Order: sequence, then C-alpha cells, then structure tokens
Amino acid sequence: MDFRYTPEDEAFRQEVRAGLRAILPDDIRERQRLTTTMNSDTHDQRVWFSLLDDKGWSVPAWPTEYGGPGWSAIQKYIFEDEMYLASAPEFQWTGTHMVGPVIYHFGDDAQKERFLPAIRRGDHIWCQGFSEPGSGSDLASLRTHAKLEGNKYVVNGQKIWTSTAYEADWGFFLVKTDLTVKPQAGISFLLIDMKSPGITVRRIPQINDEEHLCEVFLDNVEVPAENLVGTPGKGWTSAKFLLEHERTSSAFIFWNKRELRRARMIADDIVHDGRPLSQSPAFAGRLARLEADLAALEWSVLRVLANESHGFDASVASSILKLRGSEMQQATTEIQVDLLATRGLRAYVPGRDQPAPSLPDWPEYVPGRTAIATIMRAATLYGGTKQVQKNILAKLAFGL
Amino acid sequence: MNFDYSEMQQMLLDSAERLMKERGQVEKWRERRHIESGLDADGWAQFAELGWLMLPIPEDAGGLDGTMEDVALLNIALGKGLATEPYINSVVLSAYILDQAGGAHREALLGGIASGEARVALAHAEIGDRYDIDTPRATTAVHDGNGYKIDGAKSVIFDAPSATHFIVSADLADAGTSLFVVEAGAAGLALESYPLVDGTRAADLRFGGLVVDADALLASGAQATDLLFAATDRAAIAAVAQGVGSMEACLDLCSAYMKERKQFGQPIGNFQSLQHMIVDMLVATHQSRSALYGALAALDGEAQARIRAISAAKVVMGEASQLVMRHGVQIHGGYGVTDEYAISHHYRRLLSLEKAYGDIEYHVARLAAAHIA
Ligand SMILES: Cc1cc2nc3c(=O)[nH]c(=O)nc-3n(C[C@H](O)[C@H](O)[C@H](O)COP(=O)(O)OP(=O)(O)OC[C@H]3O[C@@H](n4cnc5c(N)ncnc54)[C@H](O)[C@@H]3O)c2cc1C
Repeated sequence: MDFRYTPEDEAFRQEVRAGLRAILPDDIRERQRLTTTMNSDTHDQRVWFSLLDDKGWSVPAWPTEYGGPGWSAIQKYIFEDEMYLASAPEFQWTGTHMVGPVIYHFGDDAQKERFLPAIRRGDHIWCQGFSEPGSGSDLASLRTHAKLEGNKYVVNGQKIWTSTAYEADWGFFLVKTDLTVKPQAGISFLLIDMKSPGITVRRIPQINDEEHLCEVFLDNVEVPAENLVGTPGKGWTSAKFLLEHERTSSAFIFWNKRELRRARMIADDIVHDGRPLSQSPAFAGRLARLEADLAALEWSVLRVLANESHGFDASVASSILKLRGSEMQQATTEIQVDLLATRGLRAYVPGRDQPAPSLPDWPEYVPGRTAIATIMRAATLYGGTKQVQKNILAKLAFGL
Repeated sequence: MNFDYSEMQQMLLDSAERLMKERGQVEKWRERRHIESGLDADGWAQFAELGWLMLPIPEDAGGLDGTMEDVALLNIALGKGLATEPYINSVVLSAYILDQAGGAHREALLGGIASGEARVALAHAEIGDRYDIDTPRATTAVHDGNGYKIDGAKSVIFDAPSATHFIVSADLADAGTSLFVVEAGAAGLALESYPLVDGTRAADLRFGGLVVDADALLASGAQATDLLFAATDRAAIAAVAQGVGSMEACLDLCSAYMKERKQFGQPIGNFQSLQHMIVDMLVATHQSRSALYGALAALDGEAQARIRAISAAKVVMGEASQLVMRHGVQIHGGYGVTDEYAISHHYRRLLSLEKAYGDIEYHVARLAAAHIA
C-alpha cells in the first residue's frame, strides 16, 4: 500500500488545472461560483462542453473509441476535482453518465453514431423518464406503454420527477413493451425526441421555488422503432447497468468538497463578538466534524476506484458512498443556512439574476444557500431513497 | 399544578382550530402568500373578531388580560394552521414593551393592536447582529428641538411591510440604547421589503434624519434592554408554541400519507423503517410541548430560572423541528419537495421558527452561560 499521489499524478493535476483555466469563460465561471440552483445552468453546460470537447476532455469516463481521453481512474478523479475547483459547470449527468454509457454498451452502430457525438459536445440535453406517479421506489411496477405498430412505437402514459424535461432535447424512457409479463420483464429502454407531437411537459413548483422537476404526459407519441436501445423487453438490464456502472459519482465527493469550502468561506467572512464564526466554539466544532467526515468519504471513494477487494459484494461499497454522500450533501449545505442566521430566511427565486443587495450585509454568497440546502432533502430520495438503500445494504452485506 | 384547559381556553382552542382548519388548507395558503405586504386583511379582521388580538392586552387598554398560557395555546393552533400573520411580533412582543414602558402612546397603540388597526414590529436587529440584545446600537438618536432625530439602518426586520408602527432601538447620547415609537409612513424612513422562505415578509430599514416627538421615547438604558430581553423571551415562547403546532400537523400529514401511499403493493406505513421515523417525530414533538410547559411555568419566576427554561424550550423545539421537517419530507418521497404538498410548507415554516427569536446556537450558548453563572 502507498496512499500518496505519484509525481505523475501531480503533474497531471497541474496540466488539467492550467488547461481548464485557459478555456473556461469568465461569465460561466462566475455564474457557477455563485450558483443558486441545484443543477448547473443548461445554457452554460452547452457552451462549456463544446469547449471541453475541443480539448477531448468532455467525457473522461468514456472509452477512447467513443471519444474518451483514456485516463486512469485516478486521473479521472483528479480531473473532476479540478473541474469543481475551477468553478466549471457540472456534467450534464443524464447525458454523459447515464444514457451515453447505455448507448455505447447496448446500442447499435447507428445509435452510437447518431447520439454519442452530440452528448460529447453538449449539443443535446437529456432527461431521464423512469419514475411514474405510482412507481417510485417500486420502479418495476411502471405502466407507461409502448405498442409496436409497424416500424414505430406508439407510447401512452405518464412520467413524473423528470428533471430538466422542459428544456431537454431528448429523453430516455423506461416503457412497457409487453404487458402480459410480470414486473421487470417486458420493460424496454426507449429514446424519445422531446419535441415529438403528443408530449406535454408540466413543470412542478418546488419547495425551493425552482421548477426543475416535471411531469411528462405521453399521448399517442410515435417513436421510430430504431430508437429502442438493446433487446426489446430487456430494458431493465440497461436501467440497472445505468444505475450501477458509475460506482463513485453518487458520493458527490467533489460537490461536497466545494460546499464545505463554501461553508468555511462564509464562516470566515461573518464576524460576530469580534471574531469570525469559524472561530466560535459551536461552528468551529461543526466545521471540524464535517471535514473529518468528508476526508473519510474521500478515502472511501478512492478505495472503490482502486477496486479494493473486501469481504462484501462490490456494490456494498458503492451503496455506502451513496448513503453517506447524500447525507453529507445535506450537512454541508445546512451549516451554511445556520451560519447566515435570519439572513438565510430571505427567499430568492433561484436563477440567473439576483436582486441587488439593500444593505451592505448581503454579500454575494447569500442568495441560493437556503434554496440549495432545502432541495438537498431530495438527495436522500432520488437514485433510490435512503430507506431503500439501507434495505439493499442489509441484504447485500449481511444476507438479511 | 393543573394540566386541564379552562373553559375559556377550551373555547379559544375550538374557535382557533375551526378557523385554522379552513385557512390552513394548502391551496388557500399558496394563494395568500402572494399578497404583497404579507398580510391578508380579511384574515386579520377575523383574528380581531375572535378576540385573539386582544388576548394578552391588559384590560385597562381594551384587552382580555389573558395569560401567557392562553397565548401559547392559541399559537399552537396558529402553527398547526400555518398562520404567518404577524401575531408574535405585534400582539406578543411589541404589545408587551408598549404596556410595560407606559407613556403617551400606550393606550392608543395597545387599543389599536387589540382592534387590529395597528400592527407594531420591533426594529432592533442591525448589520452584524446574531440575535444581539444588549450590544450597543449603531443606529443613533440625538436631541432635536423638542424631539429626537434618528439615523441608521436595521437588518431583517420581521413583518415590517405590514406594520403600521415600529419600535426602533437607537443609541441616545448619555442614555444608551433607547426605544422609540416610529410610524411606518414617517418621512426619513425607507423600507426595502422581501419575502422570507415561509411566505412571511421582512424588510431592511434605513433612517435618514427621521424626526420624532419627545413622547416617542419609550425607555432607555437598562430599562430598555430589560424590556427587550423580557419581550423577546415571550416571543420565543410563542414561537415554540407555533413550532409545536406545526410539528403536530406534520404528524397528522405523515400518518395519513403512510396509510394512503402504496409501493410494492402495500401501504408504505407497513415498512418498519418508516414506522420508526414517525415515532421519532412523535417523541420529538411530545418533548417540545413538555419543554413549552416548562418555559411557561418559569416565565414569571426568578431571572436565571426563566432564562434556562425558555432557552431550553427553544433548543428542544429547534432540534425537534429539524428532525420532524426532514423526516416529514423524506416520508413523502418526491411529493415532499414540491410546493403542492402541505408538508413542504411546514418545512419552511419550521425552518423559520427555529431561526426566529434566537436559533439553536444562540439559545445553547445562553443556556450554557446561565449554568456557568
Ligand atoms: C429532486 C428529484 C429529482 C429526480 N429526478 C428524477 C429524474 O430525472 N428521473 C426520474 O425518473 N426520477 C427522478 N426522481 C424520482 C426519484 O427517483 C423518486 O423520487 C424515488 O425513486 C422515490 O420514489 P417516490 O418519490 O415515489 O417515493 P416513494 O417510493 O413513494 O417513497 C415514499 C417513502 O416510502 C419509503 N419507502 C418506499 N419503499 C420502501 C421500502 N421497501 N422500505 C422502506 N421504505 C420504503 C421511501 O424511502 C420514502 O421515504 C427525482 C426525484 C427527486 C426528488
């Protein structure tokens, strides 16, 4: 065992740091630095990923034959760490981390040619149409139906919680192509152009004043049969692959590090009783605990990246990352709200423009803190709720 | 000791629960919160009609001379019904200061509060404060002819946009922190208003050469800060009571949802992990009501005991509220993070109640200091 970065790793870090700094436009960096929303601005993502693609850096996790840079696991890790340090927009996860890998793994050549370059360049924003009103944790009970008629599917049904659907170009959907078989069987993975006639999107007003979540109604939507990825009726396999293949991203380690840096910056900035809050016993203690937890999480991520073998099923370690990572997303943002005291109660509608401060005690970091901490309650819901994750872990780790 | 409600309290509770049931429906509340000033005039008139606004006001000023126990019971009902009216700030906190300070404005303003015509907001907090009460004020007052001239700024003043009057703290040469009554429309006062996450309103205030008469001065020095401490403690008790009410509403919402929502072919209430979560919520809520009773018992007693009991209640309620609102959303799944379900509104209200009149950090520090003293 040797847990230190090698000189080559350090050199790589310097290279990507300089490279990112050289191409990241100032206005995009500023918007990301002061973000008030849960997800990065999609306009900025489009611009940013075309710039990254020019350098061949937009899809670090992809195999080289589809445009990946061929980096080692540690190099990918360093790269993403640097992306967050540079205040670059986040990946458009649904494209680069979800549907992209499904297409290059299960798709045919025509699908690869048609979709992968557009994802790589940020030309297509994707949404994920899995959940339905009656099928959340019990996803396999989904009912949206796609009926084959000649060379096209006719889709009817309803999806919910489809993030970004209102501004997405494409969506990947789980649909029932065979109603006669039991749940999980008869499900297919279908790519649907969001501009297709028969699609209606309703944005859902959220607890944090965003309207990022959507309902998607599908009413006789015609989809060419060639848009079905993999084998008809085997979509559940693709969905499982998609949810499991990115084994470390659910830790949101870089996101968590960024938010803890922000918390410390705020704690250093606010002075009360003649000292910064970062030196008050209560906040100094809370910050120290969070830093300890986060350091442990980072090592847990590295252990998964190193494919460390331990007594458990491999997915045990990644489920641990998901559980702890989502709790850390809540803790690192909630402390920011507490640091702001009553100022944290001010409501800002998340978005590009923030109102000018009325008094000098409204620094630029105030808007967005509470909105983001509030919507982070969803971190223990999406991608499998905390309770369901624990059920899975009990079974996988201990056979209970 | 007597844990039963009096006849008067039972009537108060019945009327409050009836009105709050109707007004607390999430669709109605979602419409109301768009009112610019944050105050629904019809609702406030109903509060007045039912006698709620005169509850703690002394009889000689047109009130009912109710006890803090009465006020707490009413506020539990207000919390259940997601009331965001400026009850605590005006009827509990400011009315107490006006009554105790006496002076020329006492009767007229207390009468106005009792009838619903006047709403008074405390304008004490300034840039750099964290619930400070007795630190010197940067806002200044100087003698000016027969009155005073006030200059300075105030930060995050709750309920300011719908207030008709403010109690403004300012540093008066030789006299220290002093409290003044200022009319909302006075020349030299500018408000920058904004909504808070729970749908209430606040504002930042600027005073530029604002002139008040000599009789606007309510209190100075130690008398002023003692009044501020005592009034804020009462407000904290009322906030604890609203928190208890809101948490009790969360229990009802979650219990109903757990019976109605089905996944894996059964109500999610069958899952033991959720059963344990709602029981943790129940324990925390129950403990908060108990701590509230402790605070009420100590209110008129010895100073250190009062401080300990009130801060303890605010800490217990604050921590309970975080557990209840977070579990409450989690139990609702995705629906919990939408604006369309009541649980998300209780989440935001509880977030606000924890921060109002001293947050957990503030009251833990005050409690610790009281034990050392
Ligand atoms: C912000 C956000 C973004 C999302 N984005 C997307 C998206 O882009 N695309 C998409 O398809 N979906 C998305 N989702 C949906 C998400 O995957 C679901 O919310 C999640 O699967 C939970 O389903 P549900 O909301 O129906 O809750 P339910 O399944 O109804 O769960 C309600 C409660 O019951 C508990 N529960 C359920 N089953 C069990 C069990 N067996 N044992 C113990 N407890 C249980 C849950 O833990 C939860 O507390 C998103 C959700 C959110 C909140």
